[in-house]
Amino acid sequence: MKTRPPQLDQRIEDLLADPAHAENALHAPLQELWQLHRDHLSRLDRITHLSDSFQSMVRDRELSLTERFDKQLRQLQKIARISDRYQEMLRDINDALKEASTHDALTGLANRRLIMDRLREEADRSSRLGQSFVLAMVDVDYFKRINDTLGHDVGDRVLVAISRSMQAGLREYDLCGRWGGEEFLLLLPQTEMEDAMSVVSRIHEAIRELRFAEDGADLTITASMGVAGHKTGDSYAQTLKRADDALLEAKRQGKDCVLSA
Amino acid sequence: MNDFSIPGSQSTPAIAGNWAEGVLSMQGDSYPENSFELFGPVLNWTQSFLGQAEHPLRLELKLLYLNTSSVKAIMDLFDLLEEAHRGGHQVAVNWYYDRRNERVAQLAAEFKEDFTFAFAIIGEDYE
Repeated sequence: MKTRPPQLDQRIEDLLADPAHAENALHAPLQELWQLHRDHLSRLDRITHLSDSFQSMVRDRELSLTERFDKQLRQLQKIARISDRYQEMLRDINDALKEASTHDALTGLANRRLIMDRLREEADRSSRLGQSFVLAMVDVDYFKRINDTLGHDVGDRVLVAISRSMQAGLREYDLCGRWGGEEFLLLLPQTEMEDAMSVVSRIHEAIRELRFAEDGADLTITASMGVAGHKTGDSYAQTLKRADDALLEAKRQGKDCVLSA
Repeated sequence: MNDFSIPGSQSTPAIAGNWAEGVLSMQGDSYPENSFELFGPVLNWTQSFLGQAEHPLRLELKLLYLNTSSVKAIMDLFDLLEEAHRGGHQVAVNWYYDRRNERVAQLAAEFKEDFTFAFAIIGEDYE
């Protein structure tokens, strides 16, 4: 826009105010034109002002929206992070509960529930694939006497030591579980009787070699074992029964020996 | 003025607001079916307190497990405290935990992050 010479406004104001020109034919139209001009100017100012404030309002709103969005985003990320950690905590508790429900608290071995699950799995696998497995039932000889004469603390220590020894003698995929008080069950998957007997005999020997010094007296522990190979088509309960029978026979024959069914 | 108290259940914490003492307490697990229903009144009470009361507000928390919507509600509550704190209202959070469960303390610390009001994480020995 072309700018007016600064003095023009003043000159027109002066001319209009001068009584000498009051009678001039141009005075009235100039007065009107001047007024119109001033009105236009003031309207232009108002429009400019409105438009400016509208723009700054939009900008402010955008800023506050961005700010709010960023804040919400930060909060959401924080919630997700914390929530994840609560979930982790639950998962760990869940794992601990699962461990507690499938393992024996004293020895850390599989408990009877887990053994039964594994037996079912192995029996299924056997009937599907025709692979055999071997069970060995283990009973600690004269264990009641240890408990009665040396106390349950010693009895517990003996059980823990035997558990460790048996686990050390097994292969990675074998399972050793606590069947009951001083009874254990060894499960050797995909194993033939001959190989199983050598593993079990080694474990039998290792138990005998354990040494406990209690109240100055050396304590020697022995175990009796009954071994049975699973026959395809049999139920695992039948195999379990044969292993148990073999164990009973081993005990009857004077303990501290391994018999197979 | 107006106190309120919500008894706890297996899935919801016990919550109580004491206007005169300026104490809001919550204890227990929180995985409610409808967290807005549960925490809505708590947030409203806190908002009224911070808007009307002149005396300090203290949160006494013994929270264990929180599901995601409860985490969000607690965060909203802390946001109210933060705003009040920046406005000059005296607010504080005491979060108690069983010393045997250090993870609760770690989680409380995660909450605490970014807030500038007094926030204490206090280990206790429970039987």
